Amino acid sequence: MTIIHRFLKTPEGLAGALLLAAFVLVALAAPFFFPRDPLSIAGPALLRPFQDWSLPLGTDRLGRDVLAGIFHGARTSLAVSLAAAAASIAVGAIVGTLAGFGGGWTDEVLMRITDAFQTVPGFLLALAFVSVVGPSLGVVVAAIALSAWTGPARIARAEVLSIRERDYVASARVAGMHPLEIAFREVLPNALPPVLALASVIVAQAILVEAALSFLGLGDPNRVTWGGMIAEGRTVLRSAPFLSIVPGIALVLTVLGVYLAGEGAVETAAKRRSLA
Amino acid sequence: MMLDFRISRRGVLAGSAVLLASTALPRIAEAQEPKKGGRLIVAADSEPRNLNPAIVASNGVFFISSKVVEPLAEASFDGKDGLAPRLATSWEGSADGLSVTFKLREGVTWHDGKPFTSADVAFSALQIWKPLQNLGRVVFKDLEAVDTPDEHTAVFKFSKPTPFQLIRNALPPLTAVVPKHLYETGDIAENPANNAPVGTGPFKFAEHKAGEYYRLEKNASYWGKDLPHLDEIVYRVLPDRAAAAGALEAEEIHLAAFSAVPLADLERISKVPGISVISKGYEALTYQLVVEINHRRKELADLKVRQAIAHAIDKEFVVKTVFLGYATPSTGIVPVNDKQFYTTDVPQYAFDVAKANALLDEAGYPRADNGTRFALKLLPAPYFNETKQFGSYLRQALAEIGIDAELVNNDAAAHQKAVYTDHAFDLAVGPPVFRGDPAISTTILVQSGIPDGVPFSNQGGYRNDELDGIIAKAAETLDPDARIALYRDFQEKVAEDLPLINVAEWGFITVARDTVKNVSNNPRWAVSNWADTWVEA
Repeated sequence: MTIIHRFLKTPEGLAGALLLAAFVLVALAAPFFFPRDPLSIAGPALLRPFQDWSLPLGTDRLGRDVLAGIFHGARTSLAVSLAAAAASIAVGAIVGTLAGFGGGWTDEVLMRITDAFQTVPGFLLALAFVSVVGPSLGVVVAAIALSAWTGPARIARAEVLSIRERDYVASARVAGMHPLEIAFREVLPNALPPVLALASVIVAQAILVEAALSFLGLGDPNRVTWGGMIAEGRTVLRSAPFLSIVPGIALVLTVLGVYLAGEGAVETAAKRRSLA
Repeated sequence: MMLDFRISRRGVLAGSAVLLASTALPRIAEAQEPKKGGRLIVAADSEPRNLNPAIVASNGVFFISSKVVEPLAEASFDGKDGLAPRLATSWEGSADGLSVTFKLREGVTWHDGKPFTSADVAFSALQIWKPLQNLGRVVFKDLEAVDTPDEHTAVFKFSKPTPFQLIRNALPPLTAVVPKHLYETGDIAENPANNAPVGTGPFKFAEHKAGEYYRLEKNASYWGKDLPHLDEIVYRVLPDRAAAAGALEAEEIHLAAFSAVPLADLERISKVPGISVISKGYEALTYQLVVEINHRRKELADLKVRQAIAHAIDKEFVVKTVFLGYATPSTGIVPVNDKQFYTTDVPQYAFDVAKANALLDEAGYPRADNGTRFALKLLPAPYFNETKQFGSYLRQALAEIGIDAELVNNDAAAHQKAVYTDHAFDLAVGPPVFRGDPAISTTILVQSGIPDGVPFSNQGGYRNDELDGIIAKAAETLDPDARIALYRDFQEKVAEDLPLINVAEWGFITVARDTVKNVSNNPRWAVSNWADTWVEA
């Protein structure tokens, strides 16, 4: 049995994979199904869902197509969450490796900085960062990475601490490799797998943080985001609740999918270990 | 001495009350005996840092402090010239326009017990309204001295002829009188009374709990006979607009003014028994939805581009969709509901995308391969849902004519700095207010030479000597008819040259429980003193 096969055999894995596949498909298909700017006005304002089949999920207060918003919003969520996860894992892995491999003062300084970041609630940090620098997609990614890199850093450091005592590291030293070369060529690649396991947690968190920032009006106003759609719908919550509910459901399903896939991966790994 | 009777604001205001009347359910004033005592709880959506209406003449400040600190006169539906006396009992302008004499009310005391005299008026005018107040700076710029022949007479002396019509129109919003004895020592801007105002009004400032409420209590020695009716007014801070409607339905608050209940919720809430939706009471506070233009941008300095933008905006759509009908499309820089100065005789820019595109081609900005002619930054003011939504609409409207507008969202403080101090915008969406006379807060939107940092003024680097000339001439023209003629000319020139684009104008909506009586009985009701307001048990 391949790993993927085993992964899909776990109920969490299967459900997660299906939800994630749908999410990614929706994001990738957005420009084909909805080539127009999703923020453009497509019909009468506040059309309810299932009334007009050219606008199946209805329109918002300005007459923008809700379904187009969901599709394009998936793109934003996907882009932001992947970029934020990649950035925070990259930064975390580098910092963790340097700290673990360098030891001594380097370790002390880097880990105290990590602690300092961990003492501030992540969302607050992102909020402060975006409100100072100003909202745009890049800044939102940076803000999320800023609050999420500490987890990967600590795990990478813990791994590196054990790996650096291994024989192959000692032999690399004897061979006269530069310590930085050893750290990033020999140690880091071996420390990476457990760090990557954090990816699903970070992606799910990034989607939620992005949505929350957009909800508070701190997302990029030139893009559709699910959080932004929920926030706009909130002003008419009593008279047109679907405007908040529809993107809310999309958000729940996506985050659920990411978590389930993560659970499935853990399950699979555990089974593999018990089988071995 | 001459008294000016020629223009009746009664007609003006009666006419303007028709605006938005479609949803108004004004209560008929029944001959009901007002109940004494009780507490009125209203929603407040912001907590102004400075509560001194003499320094900050803005509706957010007036909403709370107008009950504490009074002006010389208040706007009125049926008073002469649209005014009702407050701290002044009469006002007369001299024929040469160089002086205005106010007779002041006798027997008035400040909340701390000291008597109110002409010295307080002289001090407020010369030390606060003229040098410090956002609007007073313009209207009282030529005020040289205030003579106080006796304790109840104040004579304003101007260095240049100043139209009495303008001074009269400026009385309600600009002339809040603060006590000299509290302000004469120390820095006026740092005075503690700016946060806990002391005035002569029907209510005393009691306390402010940040993030929770403001509380005002009855002034037992108020000059008005048997007034005020209420014992207490509490402003509950509800920054979340959706919460105001819920709080009204749950009877936690009695009243939400300034459209605190979102427009989209009005139709629903108007059907709730015991709650009324009232559009009256804002006739003297007309907000204008305006596209502010930075003329420093090469493309926007071209009249054809500005005309193209004006043609690209569907005002009817904006009124219908963004304002859900609770607004009127603008025809020019003076709102339609002003019957003193307003003229229809100005160039109009009908919604016409093809024409807009043609104008841009003519101006020499062809579409590039991606369909875009040029890109610019668009900053919608964050103060109202409607300004933000119009920003989203404008971005789409501009996309139709090949202008790629990037929206930049800021909080209130950052927006003010970006637009009015740093000029870091190409287009901005602003909500200036028309206050009954173009010279109070409207000509400043066009006039050149305004220092950086003055909010709601021409900060777009626009300069038109002809318009500056008309503004200067109107500022010292005494004859009301000649003045009106000049302002009509002003409206025409503005519409021709488009220093800014007026899109729509709106008043606000009050939603109140039916137990609150005497609501919206003057054209500035939300920012008037509420002495006669009462709550049925």
